[in-house]
Amino acid sequence: MDAYEILKEKGISVGDKIVIDSIEGILMPRSEFVESDVIVVKMSNGYNIGIKFKEGMKIELIEKKEQQASEKTTKEEFDLRKPIVSILACGGTIASRIEYRTGAVFPSFSPEELIEAFPEIKELANIKARKLFDLFSEDMQPEHWKIIAQEIAKEIESGVDGIVLMHGTDTMHYTSAALSFMLQDLPVPVVLVGAQRSSDRGSSDNRINLVSAVLFASKGDIAEVVVCMHENLNDDYCAIHRGTKVRKMHTSRRDAFKSINISPLARVNYHERKIEYLTSNFRKRDKNRKLKLDTNINPNVGIFYFHPGAKPELLREMAKLYEGIVIVATGLGHVGVNPRNDKLAKSFLPVIKELIDKNIPIVFAPQTIFGRLNMNVYSTGRILEKAGVIGNLCDWTIETALVKLMFVLGHTKDINGIRKMMLTNMAGEISERIEI
Amino acid sequence: MNYKELGLKVGLEIHFQLDVDRKLFCNCSSAMKEKEPIAIVKRKLHPVASELGEIDVAAQFEYLRNRTFFYEVFRNESCLVELDEEPPHDTNEEALKVALQIAKLFNCKIPEYIFVMRKTVIDGSNTSGFQRTMIVGFDGYFEFKGRKIPITQVCLEEDAAAIDKEENGNVYYKLNRLGIPLVEIDTGVIESLEPKEIEEIAYQIFLIASSTRKIRREIGAIRQDVNVSIEGGKRVEIKGVQRLSLISKVIEKEVERQLELIRKGEKVKKETRAAKEDGSTEFMRPLPGAERMYPETDIKPIKTEDVLKYLEIPEPLNKRIERYEKEYKLSKSLIESLLKTDYFFLFEDLARAFPNVESSVIASVLSSTLKEIERKEKIEIKLSEQKLFEFFEALSKGFIFKEAAYDILKKMNEGKSIEEVVKELGLIPLTKEEIIKIIEETKKEVADKKKLIGIVISKVRGRANISEVIEMIEELS
Repeated sequence: MDAYEILKEKGISVGDKIVIDSIEGILMPRSEFVESDVIVVKMSNGYNIGIKFKEGMKIELIEKKEQQASEKTTKEEFDLRKPIVSILACGGTIASRIEYRTGAVFPSFSPEELIEAFPEIKELANIKARKLFDLFSEDMQPEHWKIIAQEIAKEIESGVDGIVLMHGTDTMHYTSAALSFMLQDLPVPVVLVGAQRSSDRGSSDNRINLVSAVLFASKGDIAEVVVCMHENLNDDYCAIHRGTKVRKMHTSRRDAFKSINISPLARVNYHERKIEYLTSNFRKRDKNRKLKLDTNINPNVGIFYFHPGAKPELLREMAKLYEGIVIVATGLGHVGVNPRNDKLAKSFLPVIKELIDKNIPIVFAPQTIFGRLNMNVYSTGRILEKAGVIGNLCDWTIETALVKLMFVLGHTKDINGIRKMMLTNMAGEISERIEI
Repeated sequence: MNYKELGLKVGLEIHFQLDVDRKLFCNCSSAMKEKEPIAIVKRKLHPVASELGEIDVAAQFEYLRNRTFFYEVFRNESCLVELDEEPPHDTNEEALKVALQIAKLFNCKIPEYIFVMRKTVIDGSNTSGFQRTMIVGFDGYFEFKGRKIPITQVCLEEDAAAIDKEENGNVYYKLNRLGIPLVEIDTGVIESLEPKEIEEIAYQIFLIASSTRKIRREIGAIRQDVNVSIEGGKRVEIKGVQRLSLISKVIEKEVERQLELIRKGEKVKKETRAAKEDGSTEFMRPLPGAERMYPETDIKPIKTEDVLKYLEIPEPLNKRIERYEKEYKLSKSLIESLLKTDYFFLFEDLARAFPNVESSVIASVLSSTLKEIERKEKIEIKLSEQKLFEFFEALSKGFIFKEAAYDILKKMNEGKSIEEVVKELGLIPLTKEEIIKIIEETKKEVADKKKLIGIVISKVRGRANISEVIEMIEELS
């Protein structure tokens, strides 16, 4: 029995004031965690409770829900002395808000809503804002990256001083890597920003992250794709990470994003609205530089995670679906090749050779996350290198290796061409030196 | 003052910390034993507009104070959940059971599904900017002097962080109290009663909730908010009354304050005030609005049927008090003083285990001897229930005598076994022959019987049953 259907027949809908079983309250939306015969009601003291609907139960409509106030239409005026920042929204926690009456979470922010929620950004820049998609992080596809890159290019061509991209955090580092390869010779910063805490709460990191991102997009001197998120657990600084070197390293902390193998490029002092640069090794802002947009990408790349007990046959099966494979390898860059002919060990060497022969590139990335691959040290590494595995002396993250291989496969199918492109540092994804 | 004529209306919100090991939404210890923080985290809170663009007036007020919050992290007692860096875990089942027991004791209706809510709090006492709370019972009552006192709701919620210090707009909070399970019991509007009677009501509520044996009694573990209004005044919420015995004073002073304002022709404002030690109050912030509550979507709703199936409802404490009077013949004053200790329930366990020890002896050892040792020796009594059982067992077997209770318990409190203590104090019971010998010897020196009894008693004190010794003297003379 669907209680909400029965209520609908009685002309009662979510938000209406009702009396059910002598309890007065506002009908709340159905909860996904309870059975369909449970009616959720907000009592006058503000608490929600669930009431099991029973045949013959007395339910009365007291008052229909008031019509929502119409959307605000005030337009913000442009201030020519201030830089212009385009905010593009893809969805995610940062671009969601809550309807307190029902507790439902609504996505999307119009520019007006954004400015209303974060009035500080208006003081930093003239804000242009629009929604590209409304997607959860995990629904983002390589095809979406193309659209984002195209939309950013349009904004840059219109002469803005910086871009802010609001994005869900789970796959933000994939998108930042993809944009780093697609948006070449950037004249201004492209800043990805997200939130780890929902926007309904006073403690949300959305405000400090967004304000810092807008500040960096408008004034920052780094014309690269970067990620702007909390530097640590304090509400003081945001770190600016290079788009190809950043990774989400925690499920929930607000400082989940860390630069891997390099230092963050800069940090933003939220309270003083100041930028501190931590390196000079970056492309400088230059509005006269001409952006080169290259969205050729082949999404048919998969990741194989090597582990004790892993089956070479799975890799062979994967190769039927993909045109390139990133193997997440152990240590300095190893998978089993069984050089000592152990009875129990399995060798991946035959299948790896077979795939490379078929022009399916095999790229290694480190399970350790931190550090550089070096396949010269152990015989296993030397054997794999010789077999044509790509990745020796690279320190890329798993995700950047994946995205780069997609990008490279969008440009060439030739295994030697692929190898050459992969090993060329295109967007800071391979660091020359790793500092202590 | 004639409070009836003044139209005094009072509502009580009484908060009790629950005596459970873990916090409400994580596995941190709720012991609050740690003294030194291991880290400090700096935070800002911002008001969030509701969908109608309205910001709660109380939230806005706090924000305009532009304060910075520093959270002190304590080992074992605070984790990522308290820091708002990890979503909450499932609701602590033990705490939920106790809260449901309390709701049942107050004759509340229990919702079929409980939803955890977020209540906006932006004074920094909650890192998230809200307090998690759930209603576990509503529409209840209890009997007081033949009338029904309405209990509008019983809620289970997380306790807030406690302020450590505040300097120049920087507020330091201790995270170890944040998340400790707290039960809030709200009365409906109580009319035409005296402030003293309202204080008694608060005490009754405390007694009923204590029936669960899971209520913390330390200072600060019980806190009251009192809503007061009179005819021509406004509802004023007074927060943080730390002692039950302060309630009547707080009410009296608030009535005086409102009367004074009315007399001067000034308006009484709806507001929240903070209670001070002397019962007077000071302004805290405007009264928060109603749109402060929305669902905590990170926690699944709780189906109460599953919990209620195995829930035992404890005997209400006021019933137990009546029983102690009747069954154990304890005087009202002895019960009163027993209630002030941690041993009120233990009394009955001991009385049942050792029926040949007089109930009043057990009660007075628990309520006065232990207190006396603390007071005179300036030490803290930390005897386990097991140690107390050992003591009364020895008493019951005639191995020790009640006159030596003070000395023996004092030594036992140092961690010694009862055997060790008896040996050390030379309190090994005298045999009948030894007693007779003492009587005979003393008789040679003292002729007067009254004096004789006195001296003999002082000689055998703690090593013999006094009434038996007196009988023996009577027989021998």
